[in-house]
Amino acid sequence: MATQNTNRQSGRRTVSDRFDSWIGEDTSIREAIGIYGALSLYFIWFLVPVGWLALSTVKAGEIIQATELIIIPSLENITLANYEVVLSDARFRQLFVNSIIISFSTTALTLVVGILGAYSLSRFSYPGRKSLLIAFLATKMLPPVLIIIPFFIMMWSLNLVNSYIGIILSHCVRALPLALWLLKGFFDDIPEALDEAARIDGCSHLSVLYHVIVPLAKPGIAVAAFYTFVTSWNDFLFVSVLSQNISTRTLPFGLYLFQSSNSINWGATLTAALLTAIPSIIFFALVQKYIVKGLASGGMHGH
Amino acid sequence: MKYDDWYDMSTHSGQESGLPRLRQWITEARWFTQETWIGVGLVIPATVMMLVIIVYPTIRALWVSLHSRSFLNLEQVEWIGLANYEQLFADPTFTIAMTQTVLLTVGAVVSMYLLGLGLALLLKENLPGLGVLRSLSMISWVIPPVVIVIIWSWMLEVNYGLVNLIFGIFGGPNKSWFGSRQWALPLVTMLRVWKDTPFVAIALMASMQSIPKEYYEAAEIDGASRIQKFRHITLPNITYISMIMIVIETIAAFNSFQMIFIATGGGPVNSTEVLGTYVYQQAFMEYALGYASAIGAIMLLLLTVFTIIYVKIEDTD
Repeated sequence: MATQNTNRQSGRRTVSDRFDSWIGEDTSIREAIGIYGALSLYFIWFLVPVGWLALSTVKAGEIIQATELIIIPSLENITLANYEVVLSDARFRQLFVNSIIISFSTTALTLVVGILGAYSLSRFSYPGRKSLLIAFLATKMLPPVLIIIPFFIMMWSLNLVNSYIGIILSHCVRALPLALWLLKGFFDDIPEALDEAARIDGCSHLSVLYHVIVPLAKPGIAVAAFYTFVTSWNDFLFVSVLSQNISTRTLPFGLYLFQSSNSINWGATLTAALLTAIPSIIFFALVQKYIVKGLASGGMHGH
Repeated sequence: MKYDDWYDMSTHSGQESGLPRLRQWITEARWFTQETWIGVGLVIPATVMMLVIIVYPTIRALWVSLHSRSFLNLEQVEWIGLANYEQLFADPTFTIAMTQTVLLTVGAVVSMYLLGLGLALLLKENLPGLGVLRSLSMISWVIPPVVIVIIWSWMLEVNYGLVNLIFGIFGGPNKSWFGSRQWALPLVTMLRVWKDTPFVAIALMASMQSIPKEYYEAAEIDGASRIQKFRHITLPNITYISMIMIVIETIAAFNSFQMIFIATGGGPVNSTEVLGTYVYQQAFMEYALGYASAIGAIMLLLLTVFTIIYVKIEDTD
């Protein structure tokens, strides 16, 4: 810091000096380099596989399975043929539509039930309220592979095997406990004086919820919606058991069947995989700034 | 709160006695119970759903575990008491699956906590570009597990996977890593760590950022080093979130099924068989519903015991 001051005084700002003020006072350049170095190790591990997947999807068939390392293919070997193959495949489109129907319905159902429940847990007091929240969270402990056995028997006797309803209900209860917990955390942050004011003006509970709580808790609702959507979109277990044919299969399970049954067509498999991941990534990109806040406030309220 | 409003209003309306006061009390009591009922009513849909779709099936599964029941003929049920459990302890595959589940869980949770803690400490720094990295880091957490398996199978593919290509340059081995008995279990453990480390890191980071800056400033005045600050300020202030993360991740790792089933199906030669894949295999490939439920019941028992003990220990600290 002393050198910085002398440089300032002499009126000349060196490059390293400018970098110093850019990274803030607390961190020295050596520390900054160390931090960036350590981070790059992490991010090579996180991002190279994803980047390699994306890069492979635009490679032509001959070089995708090259036995030598080709990082950037030459221009004539870049092709969108894999995307044409996958997107023109009627099965892929059917799986995509099923995935959308199931994950959107799951999200809508979980949010309605979750918002009502979280409002109750956040604003009312009745015996057993705290234990109820813990009980909800405790269900996350039950092994999914155990639940699926009697759940399948139950759906079978209700004639709901191979229906959207069975799959949506199973996804919904997987997501509901954490969605409730997140929503309650966000609702608790809204001052109770606001809904009391609305109540005095003669609003019913439902209209307080709709006109006061929901608009103010939008970030929390976005995070809960994201979590539910991803739980449903990514699920493999419940779909693999409850869906018997292509009419209710979703992308992850379809992808598994595709990858394990064919004598592997890597170009198409990788492209289908990337396309399966994209909706989750887009949804994440939309809500990511609220997620840190959600995790922080959830953690705080646990005390 | 509401109750007080009522009380204020009643005092405002002046001296009342006898019948009107009694009537007021009744209205008040009715109002109060009505409020409570609305509250209870709102949480009922969620509760009923959980009871019907999770709690009831679990109890039913414990019941099924005392029977011999096959998927091929769901109507046929035979009571056999604890025979499934007796068979379990004599089953060598169960012992293998159990050992490997514990290895995977301990390996995955310890690595993702330590790596996550390191990443959190790096990402919480105030340096340019770190905001972008914070968001980018979560990608592996968001990607569907099936896709994660495909990504890594592709990376590790024999002959043309990136890892083998790079190894080729340095004269390293070229092999099908998931097909190797020695490497398969560490690799499926790595998949879990790859997926969940960012989640642990971001949660820890969020918790670190809520520690008041004054604590660090005070420590700096006292001449504390970076390590001392970490040891005496950061660590004690993230114990709560650490406990939550360790419990969540232990439960998730212990229940591992998806990625292992897709990546190796429990093979080669049972070397990645864990309890999750074994239950699935017994239930949906061997159609032994009773036996599969018994294994699941053991999983549930162990998880419950772990969670209770762990939370108790952390609570007393």
